[in-house]
Amino acid sequence: MCPSRLHRQLFLSRRASPILLSTQLVVTIWKFETGQPSKNTVKFNMEGSYGAPESVQKRFALPVDSEHKATEFRLFSVAAPHMRAFHLSWVSFFACFVSTFAAPPLLPIIRDDLDLTATDIGNAGIAAVSGAVFARVVMGTACDLVGPRLASAALILITAPAVYCTAIANSAASFLLVRFFTGFSIATFVSTQFWMSSLFSSKVVGTANGVAGGWGNLGGGATQLIMPLVFSLIQNIGATKFTAWRIAFFIPALFQTLSAYAIFFLGQDLPDGNYSQLHKSGDKHKDSFSQIFRHAVTNYRGWILALTYGYCFGVELTIDNIIAQYFYDRFNVNLHTAGIIAASFGLSNIFSRPGGGILSDIMAKRYGMRGRLWALWILQTLGGIFCILLGRVGSLSVSIAVMIIFSVFVQAACGLTFGIVPFVSRRSLGIISGMTGGGGNVGAVLTQVIFFRGSRYSTETGITLMGVMILCCTLAIMLIYFPQWGGMFCGPSSKGTTEEDYYMGEWDSAEKERGIHMASMKFSENSRSERGKKVESAPTPANGTPNTYV
Amino acid sequence: MTIQGFLVVSILFSCLAATSYGVVTFSSLQENLIVSASPKLGQVLKAGEDNIIVTWSFNKSLAAGTDSSYKTVKLKLCYAPVSQQDRGWRKTKDDLNKDKTCQHNIVTKPYSSSNTTFTWTIERDVPTATYFIRAYVYNSADHEVAYGQTTDAHKTTNLFDVQAISGRHVSLDIASICFSAFSVVSLLGFFFLEKRKAKMSQAK
Repeated sequence: MCPSRLHRQLFLSRRASPILLSTQLVVTIWKFETGQPSKNTVKFNMEGSYGAPESVQKRFALPVDSEHKATEFRLFSVAAPHMRAFHLSWVSFFACFVSTFAAPPLLPIIRDDLDLTATDIGNAGIAAVSGAVFARVVMGTACDLVGPRLASAALILITAPAVYCTAIANSAASFLLVRFFTGFSIATFVSTQFWMSSLFSSKVVGTANGVAGGWGNLGGGATQLIMPLVFSLIQNIGATKFTAWRIAFFIPALFQTLSAYAIFFLGQDLPDGNYSQLHKSGDKHKDSFSQIFRHAVTNYRGWILALTYGYCFGVELTIDNIIAQYFYDRFNVNLHTAGIIAASFGLSNIFSRPGGGILSDIMAKRYGMRGRLWALWILQTLGGIFCILLGRVGSLSVSIAVMIIFSVFVQAACGLTFGIVPFVSRRSLGIISGMTGGGGNVGAVLTQVIFFRGSRYSTETGITLMGVMILCCTLAIMLIYFPQWGGMFCGPSSKGTTEEDYYMGEWDSAEKERGIHMASMKFSENSRSERGKKVESAPTPANGTPNTYV
Repeated sequence: MTIQGFLVVSILFSCLAATSYGVVTFSSLQENLIVSASPKLGQVLKAGEDNIIVTWSFNKSLAAGTDSSYKTVKLKLCYAPVSQQDRGWRKTKDDLNKDKTCQHNIVTKPYSSSNTTFTWTIERDVPTATYFIRAYVYNSADHEVAYGQTTDAHKTTNLFDVQAISGRHVSLDIASICFSAFSVVSLLGFFFLEKRKAKMSQAK
């Protein structure tokens, strides 16, 4: 689109302070869009982010900022591109979760058909979550390179055959393989978070990420109710048990395939278009993989968040796999009841993870990034405490109550984590999201291998020890420090580091000369809201040129 | 003497309490029935196709009035120890309410002390495993009071195998493969379409 090309040409000829550039941007849009200086005004809201001019505003159904990211989150709208992408991404992620955890509720029938032992079942459960460790990092890279729309549609279509082929599994080995490959599909989590971070501004990114992630994770709970229902329907039509469960797997597989089609035809990567179009027109630079990768792995905050996410999301995945059996064995409820209890753990995702995202945004409004960090630490620690408690209570009703409280804290912590991830890096957002997501799965694999395999620990002891591990690993959040905003215990750097310094540090001077850092530039301006209300939102230039701001 | 008497009374009382609370243990049952079945040791039967002929009768060498409370006989297909290994959902427990050894019902018939025979076609939902057959005898309060089984006390003799149906059908196999291929082909189609769209927008 024309305005951005003009901006690029303009900025190539200058290397001035951020404020002068921003002023140029304002003036350029102003003059170019209408040719009549008096008619248009630029919105400058009190929080300090630059709104888009009115003619640009008219193109979008939601209010947008200078990057054309939506500044509001309207849940019941399906307006393109922002809210439509939101609905497409959470529904497809939900479908992937349903497919990945479709086997556990039907295990009593599958284990008889395929003659599985408890070890086979345990290994298949670990395989289901371990595939996504690697897949999530790859997904992050793919999003950075080809955009979330193509990346997620591609992954969903590649893993759909694994779900179709679950219907023809005939041994423990083939069962493990189909669960392993189906598990790759939950790497769509990364594309969901990346897509939301690309379309929603920093004020609502926590909410958007939280709702999309939470409603997707809901699939893990919904499947415990959906699959037995589909199975009994097919059985009533006349199939025998050992055929009915096979036919039942076509339902999640078809759902997955259809959602991939919807994403491809109805979705859009960025507010201004798709990656492929923007690459060709020159508006979006096709970044180099090695540079993106280098900036991701050298950012220690990504690694810390990967660790802590392993102890909120990883714990959630582990519980999805073991909780039905726990209630069945310890409290002697029947399998149907155990399934309903297991479902309620996953179903609380409908409000708890979005709640975490919303809380992150509320804390950021008042306290900035430091508020986000404190909220994450507090809620994840509370999750750890209730996990310890869950392993120790002996009565069924108290156990269910503790489990539900535990689920709310642990899922809220997941939402809070992804309120912070969009700010760790702008250039390598995809890989950082992928690393964090992958870290979640690593946590699930580790926890299941250490505490829930074989008969070394009883399940209740395993749950308590898992809670202790949550408490220990969550302490790492205290090490996260953003020089422009501060950390849990320290304020922003006294050197006066700005958002621009932090995000521009990812680009070298040659790249800046080519002007490919502009998206990060706009993001830096818009992320000033992470300073919180207490700090004056007056931008300070880094290289000493005088303040000239509107 | 009085202490022994007290002990006996308390044991009797607890047994009474146990049975009146519905907790019947396997170890409290007497093996008073003689059960035999047609499969030979190590024979492999096909679920849904093959038959088992079961014969049971009261052990005539026991005292005459022992079977006065017997009302119904339930025959069940039970897992042999080799099929219970590493499978907690088939575990043997003494408390018959929690015991999972015998999960498949063959037939329920009213009790008669003379020889009774039944031919059973192995049902299609019986999984692949090694089995033996056990008959539980119930009284009028529907509590187990006696049993009989085709194998010995250690469950090592007279075991037979059942081969389950796979549940797979040719039509299912074909459907799976077709849909999988369709997904992959659509993906290639998507990439092609995307490249074309990008070229067209550049040409504009």
